[in-house]
Amino acid sequence: MKKLYSVLAVLLIATMILTACGTPAATEAPAAVTEAPAATEAPAATEAPVVTEAPVVIKVGQVTDLGGIDDKSFNATAYAGVEKAAADLGIEGKYLESQQQSDYAKNIQQFLDEDTDLIVTVGFLLGVDTATAAKANPDAHFAIVDYAYPDCWPGAVVGTDCGSDVALDNVLGLTFQTDEAAFLAGYAAAAMTKTGKVATFGGMELPTVTIFMTGFQAGVEYYNAQKGTTVEVLPFTYTGNFESTDDGRAFAESFVQEGADIIMPVAGPVGLGSAAYCKESGSCMIVGVDTDWTISAAEYSDVVLTSVLKNMNVAVYNAIQTVVDGAFKGGVYTGTLSDGGVGIAAVNGASAELVAELEQLKADIISGAVKVSE
Amino acid sequence: MTDKTVKTTPSEKKDNKFDLRQIFEGSYNTLLPLLAIFTGLVIGAIVIAGTDATVIEAWKNFFQAPGAAFAAAWTSIATAYGALFGGSLGNPKEILAGIQAYFSTGDSAALLKSIYPISESLVTATPYIFAGLAVAVGFRCGLFNIGAEGQFFMGALGSVFVGYSLKGLPAIIHLPLALLGGIAAGALWGAIPGYLKAKFGAHEVVNTIMMNWIGFRLSDWLLNGPMKAPGYRPVTSAVSEAAELPRFFPDPLRLNWGFILALLVAWLIYWLLFKTTIGFEIRTVGANPDAAKYAGVNIVRNFVLAMVISGGLAGLSGASQVLGVDHWVGQGFSAGYGFDAIAIALLGKSHPLGVVLAALLFGVLRGGATRMQSMAGIPVDIISIIQGLVIIFVAAPGIIRWLYRIHPAKNKQALQSRG
Amino acid sequence: MPVLELRGITKSFPGVKANQDISLTLEKGEIHALLGENGAGKTTLMNILYGLYRPDEGEILINDQKVDIEGPNDAIARGIGMVHQHFMLVPVMTVTENVMLGNETTKSGVFLDREKVSQRIREISNQYGLEVDPEAYIKDLPVGIQQRVEIIKVLYRQADILILDEPTAVLTPQEVDGLFKIIHSLIDAGKSLIFITHKLKEVLHIADRITVLRLGKVVGSAIPGEVDEQKLAEMMVGREVNLVVNKKIAEPGAAVLEVKDLYVPDERGNPSVNGLNLDVRAGEVVGVAGVQGNGQTELVYALTGLLPIKSGSIHLSGRDIHKCTPRQIIEQGVAHVPEDRQKHGLVLSFPLLDNMVLCTYYKPPFAKGVNMQEKPIAENGTGLVKQFDVRTPSIFVAASTLSGGNQQKVIVAREFSRPIKLLIASQPTRGLDVGSIEYIHGRIIEKRDEGTAVLVVSSELDEIIALSDRIAVMYRGRIVDILPAGATKEHLGLLMAGVKPEDIPDSAKQKSAGPVEKVF
Repeated sequence: MKKLYSVLAVLLIATMILTACGTPAATEAPAAVTEAPAATEAPAATEAPVVTEAPVVIKVGQVTDLGGIDDKSFNATAYAGVEKAAADLGIEGKYLESQQQSDYAKNIQQFLDEDTDLIVTVGFLLGVDTATAAKANPDAHFAIVDYAYPDCWPGAVVGTDCGSDVALDNVLGLTFQTDEAAFLAGYAAAAMTKTGKVATFGGMELPTVTIFMTGFQAGVEYYNAQKGTTVEVLPFTYTGNFESTDDGRAFAESFVQEGADIIMPVAGPVGLGSAAYCKESGSCMIVGVDTDWTISAAEYSDVVLTSVLKNMNVAVYNAIQTVVDGAFKGGVYTGTLSDGGVGIAAVNGASAELVAELEQLKADIISGAVKVSE
Repeated sequence: MTDKTVKTTPSEKKDNKFDLRQIFEGSYNTLLPLLAIFTGLVIGAIVIAGTDATVIEAWKNFFQAPGAAFAAAWTSIATAYGALFGGSLGNPKEILAGIQAYFSTGDSAALLKSIYPISESLVTATPYIFAGLAVAVGFRCGLFNIGAEGQFFMGALGSVFVGYSLKGLPAIIHLPLALLGGIAAGALWGAIPGYLKAKFGAHEVVNTIMMNWIGFRLSDWLLNGPMKAPGYRPVTSAVSEAAELPRFFPDPLRLNWGFILALLVAWLIYWLLFKTTIGFEIRTVGANPDAAKYAGVNIVRNFVLAMVISGGLAGLSGASQVLGVDHWVGQGFSAGYGFDAIAIALLGKSHPLGVVLAALLFGVLRGGATRMQSMAGIPVDIISIIQGLVIIFVAAPGIIRWLYRIHPAKNKQALQSRG
Repeated sequence: MPVLELRGITKSFPGVKANQDISLTLEKGEIHALLGENGAGKTTLMNILYGLYRPDEGEILINDQKVDIEGPNDAIARGIGMVHQHFMLVPVMTVTENVMLGNETTKSGVFLDREKVSQRIREISNQYGLEVDPEAYIKDLPVGIQQRVEIIKVLYRQADILILDEPTAVLTPQEVDGLFKIIHSLIDAGKSLIFITHKLKEVLHIADRITVLRLGKVVGSAIPGEVDEQKLAEMMVGREVNLVVNKKIAEPGAAVLEVKDLYVPDERGNPSVNGLNLDVRAGEVVGVAGVQGNGQTELVYALTGLLPIKSGSIHLSGRDIHKCTPRQIIEQGVAHVPEDRQKHGLVLSFPLLDNMVLCTYYKPPFAKGVNMQEKPIAENGTGLVKQFDVRTPSIFVAASTLSGGNQQKVIVAREFSRPIKLLIASQPTRGLDVGSIEYIHGRIIEKRDEGTAVLVVSSELDEIIALSDRIAVMYRGRIVDILPAGATKEHLGLLMAGVKPEDIPDSAKQKSAGPVEKVF
């Protein structure tokens, strides 16, 4: 009897697999089930410019980098923008996680095959593949977080070393003037430190990382110039990775030993290790980056002084908005304090006076009265 | 595991090309892996259905509408596996249409589009074949090379270095040199634990794991330092075109000569293991080191040799990936090819043909995962679950025997009962 | 009323009927011998009785009560105790600890009550003449005493029915006598015994009743005194057997192997061969007799290059070989039938034809360069299978599928088929059936007659006596004496037990009448 059951089970599943793999369209045809990819798949013959003509649902696909969709960092933040657009604008949002380098091109290609209206790629590692796909599919629209074209250097081979030596009019680069926000955080840190020493460290020496650190330092120095104080920023260091919370803990500990009481880690999850150390030892405060850590790392909210916000979700949302409106344009978007692309969260324990100073400083930066960098 | 089955008796015609008996010898031997794969897919299906919100909703109303519950589960599974296999093997109808279009109009666009899924599956399978062979050679010598991942990385870095640093060479020289660069770097990374085992008896499992970490950290450093391309990104320069493994089709199809090379190397390893004295020694040491010593085989030398071959193959795996697919190396170059390779070698029973078949299976699963994630919203991680299940069933055949009431081979029991 | 009765026991494994309709009874106070070749089904039957296997058919009665034995613990609870051929003792524990293992007596539920157990062991010792020190560590005890510990373990658990599986295999003749005394005292105390063996002489000596098994079936039973060895052997094997090795007087030539002052540490570095001197001449068989563990294994390993020596010299035909690798020694014409055929002699997962070329695979005609030549290898395999009467369905099956006797024949075929001048055969017939023993002994003598020097190491004294032209007795790493063929068992036994040659009484040296006896 048992054998019979086994045989039946084999036959059952075998039929299933055979039918399933033979005619995927057929199984997707009763499209009422879910998002009905078949509906757009089947008439794929009409490979017309999708956005303008078809009044169907706008489709947005995000290709993550290696961190995965729930990295609590920029993949997640960018996708928050997609999800908000899905809720507000009625678009259909999807993501594909990249697990390794060769997945980038493959995932982009998958979205191209599905005639996705806007493909959002995240991070510099996707820089080359995004540009290559954009050039091969001039009708498709792309937005890439933390990257912009042209990106080539003299002697670089386009398509392998770098993405493009000219600006691409179907790719929108989403970049952020995070130093403006970090400047404010530096000012706040200088105002709040009790030991007169603050510190910041990065995951790797990348422009998107160091821009936080230099802005922070400039903010501290501006405070010193204004108030005649001598708050010191300890020398920059780098963990060399974006993963190890142990490193975050160790770095924080050594900064505290050197006398710092406010630390800004610019290294993704590594910073959570620093926050954990601060919380346990009670000897330091953390300046969060990218998102508001009192929300994204709520368990440490009492040691979060403030957070430097890099509102990638807003930028992605705005890009999607332009696609929905049929007004998508390539080029470079730069998030600043003035358009809310960057900002800082409320400063924990700030006096009314400091709050006012920060408001003023923000206005001065926007107006250009205060220069964040040379 | 049978070690050598192709042998002609003197009376038989001497014809020993590839004999399927090698792997299919005894229905019992092949049945288990096939059933393991099948069972893995079935349980994967249950997981897919069980984590689908629509299905869960439908099953909550099971007593009101049992039919709908089953239908929902069915739809969920069919959509997922439909996308998986559609994304890895393509749609036969589209392929046929593509062929027709090509012959009637000479337009290859539809055909190329239709075979893109197969191309991607084979592209994914290519490094798996090399890396699976690497682990299999280790297994054959009784060594557990967990370091294939590190050797893969070193191989990729070795070949990318040769690939971008040399300029102006013709492909006929540059490509082999770049491949050799990968082999050499991987072989070195394998030789070190091999030597430590031979010389000091240090266990290769521990040492290969350590070498993995050294490799990962070394590559972090290289990518941020000496091998970093101009510009700020921590990636290497791209290899010269002359060092690339040529692709068969225009973009975005990435199928390249690496796949053919993988099949050739699989045949070479088959020949080495089963047709030469070198392989005989390696297999003897692996199957019974005491008997090997008794027979005068130099065990220490074979340990080192097997680790060098194994590391070289893993390095070649990395080289094929970088020269055929990626062309440059950055962080996250590999998502664990070297670790999956252990599973492939196990599933393939450490036989080159078995490894090729297992690698193709993994290529199909991984190749279709993207489409499944996109179309059916199933995370790619389900593939890892299926792979994991398959490996558990292969490693613990007792489960499969129990599940399907298969009796073990008679001679084994006979041995137990003897006395 | 029998204390134990088996009725119609049948047990099949896929492809093998290990036991077919076996019935036997054990009376109270009886010694019932179960005789049969390897593979006859003795061990399967006893494993059924001990609860390790369930019978497919048939029933077991204890004291006329039908019982269903669910496992070893159940068997023990029902008064059945088993002394295994391979001892189940933990070497680093004391006798007391081993005895209480699995049946721990405790104080206040937590602490081991060693004192109480030691006391009980002493009582058992005194009652049955099982002398043993409860505080001694197993690793320090000779094999014979370890066996006593096994018996004490069984008695401690209050067994009334004892099963002894090949208990004499590891003992010296003197230890065998000691064991028999113990057995008698057990019987006197009302215990009943099943004695499993394939040694004919012992059976006739000790058993009250004999049941002979062949191929899983009972082929007959007998009472000592009504049968002789020849008759029992024929029942076991199923045909007429020649129990005596017929051989001509040896005509020794020049010395082939000369060993001087050899010192060899074992794998753990403990001295095991201690200043050994020995030579073997062409055309003679020198037998090394000795209780296991007196350095024989290490001697053979040293001679074949498997173990490095500490000092001394080994000359093969005048050339010093003590620094040679195993391969170099093989190439100089040394054949080695290893003591552990599954460990050293064969690659069990390889097919026969590969095992047949295990030492010569790299040489023509089996290889050209690195290319293995399949045809010559297959021809070699086919030829040797035929020539050495290896019973196998094909040369392509894995060596693991063969019976022990046939595995040994594969080794013998491989080692005897190349040109050799020295043959080292270690335990050449261990665990083999009468037919295979007869065959392998014949082949060894054949080699001798061809002019090969032969060194036979065996713990079976009868085998040594049957084969050897000279007998070297090894004790604690030395050759203590070399006796001519025809030396008495008593004489050898005393030497093996460590009695100095000059202390051997003349009575022990008396040669027994008749041809050399051979007991299996």
